[in-house]
Amino acid sequence: MNKRSFWFSLGLIAVLAILPLLLSSFGLKLGSEVLIMAIFVMSLGLIIGFAGLVSLGHAAFFGAGAYAVTLIGDHIDNTYLLLAAAILVSGILAFISGLLFIRSSGAYFLMITLAFGQMLYAIAYKMEELTGGADGKPVLATFNLGFGEIESRVTFYYITAAAFAACYFLLRIFISSPLGRSIIGIKENESRMTALGYNTRNYKLVVYTLSGMMAGFAGGLYSYFNEYISPDLLHWMFSGQALIMVIVGGVGTLLGPAIGAGFFVVLQNYISSYTERWPIIMGLIFVAIVLYGRGGIVHIVSLIWNMIFRPKQSKNRD
Amino acid sequence: MSATTLTMHILNGLAYGMLLFMIAAGLSIIFGLMNIVNLAHGTFYLAGVYIAYYFIGRHMGFWLSLLLSIIVVAVLGVLMEKLLLERVYGKELEQVLLTFGLSFIFADVVKWIWGTSPLTLPVPSGLDVSADLGFMIFPAYRIFVIVVGCLLAVLLWYMENKTRVGAMIRAGVDDRDMLSALGINIKVVFTCIFAVGAGLAGLSGVLGGPIMGMYVGIDSEILISSLVIVVIGGLGTWKGAFIGAILVGVVDTLGRVLFPSFTMAMIFAIMIVVLLIKPNGLFGRGAQA
Repeated sequence: MNKRSFWFSLGLIAVLAILPLLLSSFGLKLGSEVLIMAIFVMSLGLIIGFAGLVSLGHAAFFGAGAYAVTLIGDHIDNTYLLLAAAILVSGILAFISGLLFIRSSGAYFLMITLAFGQMLYAIAYKMEELTGGADGKPVLATFNLGFGEIESRVTFYYITAAAFAACYFLLRIFISSPLGRSIIGIKENESRMTALGYNTRNYKLVVYTLSGMMAGFAGGLYSYFNEYISPDLLHWMFSGQALIMVIVGGVGTLLGPAIGAGFFVVLQNYISSYTERWPIIMGLIFVAIVLYGRGGIVHIVSLIWNMIFRPKQSKNRD
Repeated sequence: MSATTLTMHILNGLAYGMLLFMIAAGLSIIFGLMNIVNLAHGTFYLAGVYIAYYFIGRHMGFWLSLLLSIIVVAVLGVLMEKLLLERVYGKELEQVLLTFGLSFIFADVVKWIWGTSPLTLPVPSGLDVSADLGFMIFPAYRIFVIVVGCLLAVLLWYMENKTRVGAMIRAGVDDRDMLSALGINIKVVFTCIFAVGAGLAGLSGVLGGPIMGMYVGIDSEILISSLVIVVIGGLGTWKGAFIGAILVGVVDTLGRVLFPSFTMAMIFAIMIVVLLIKPNGLFGRGAQA
């Protein structure tokens, strides 16, 4: 880890640690939601930005994790086991679906993942005895890491913050590992990597499964956070929202999608308190970002950063 | 299940399949030719049925409303293509997000104007009777829809294989750049195809209104089924969309009767099997996108 990224990481942790001192109780709840969504969107950003796999069914894994915690949680009340189950279930789903789907790419991959997500949605919707159908299901499992049930919002915030930081650093290590480098290489030029003797499908499958597991973990946390789940968590609208968060934040970066998640969740909460027409506004934001976005928040920020602090360098780059 | 009931369900499935065919055909050609996954294609269906509802409410009659609705939806499609999509050609992710955002907007506008309670279109007079098929009695309107679907399939097949426009489309699906290099104004072709695709989806919406009713959310249901059909049938061919739509329509209708919980899963399983055996779909042309 070089000096710059060390200070950056330290800054990130400091911000996450100090934030509760500035936030109201509602702000803390929103903060937890942002961080959970950030884990989910980061996992999607991983396969889009680093493996070139654009999925429109990623909510399937988030929802699978949420349903795993909720349904198994009716019988077993051990937070570690339940979160492990969420990761395992979504990991298995990602592995099997990846095995079948990764042979196709581009728009085809997008349509198939979309249909896969909708299939899980339809199953959760129809199997009323088990899942509660369209009405959803309350989460009975209690959040207990071995120190008694956690009910305070501050504590929950810090746990989600730690979870987010752990996922972020895990992905950083993954990306800079030889495995991660090979995956980026496959995205840049698949035929060359194939010619070099790499079995590109297996590499994509690894990153897709990892991404699914992380999404499932986020879904599991969401169950505890929201204490209530519904099939909407599996719906393609949710997948699409995650996709736009990735784009808003910036494709091809790790933290970009997380920032996009923050931007969107906060905006949604703010606008929804004024008007019921959030879908229209969100749709307009989609269109505006596509037409005028130019690479997302992270790219805009780094552009400004370079203009202010490194005028010479940025000129040289141009 | 007796043979008569089975036949009835299969006929119902065919009627549903014909509605799906009209949407999937446009989706498939737009995807094959322009390489756009139009996630707003279900919106054209939704727009078609609600606009027809508006005109019928103004005492225009079913057939005039049908015509007006198709025209309005086709114009909507042209506007969408000219004003927005044309600016993001070649950028896959941007196109997906753009059409996705548009489907959000339109669905919410419909909800805003007409509310969330399901509505239905009246069956046009003259067809609101039951036809005696000799061995069973079946609603005449559904037979009408099946006939319209089949006629349309023949018409589109003829266009695709026997006319100059069809030759352009086939050539465009195989190699877009070559088509424009040959001096064909591909922009005009794109706009026309988009208008036809939107109009067909609008037609499907109006014809489907009396059978399926209308509600917010039907747009994404229809879209998902059409995407599955496109994947099963193959890109850029009307024949694939036709066979795929009949398959999905019949399986879906029978499935709803036999095992309601797993219909969608079964359709999806068919899609996976097709994909594993023939990655380009049953009748897919050219290379995989």
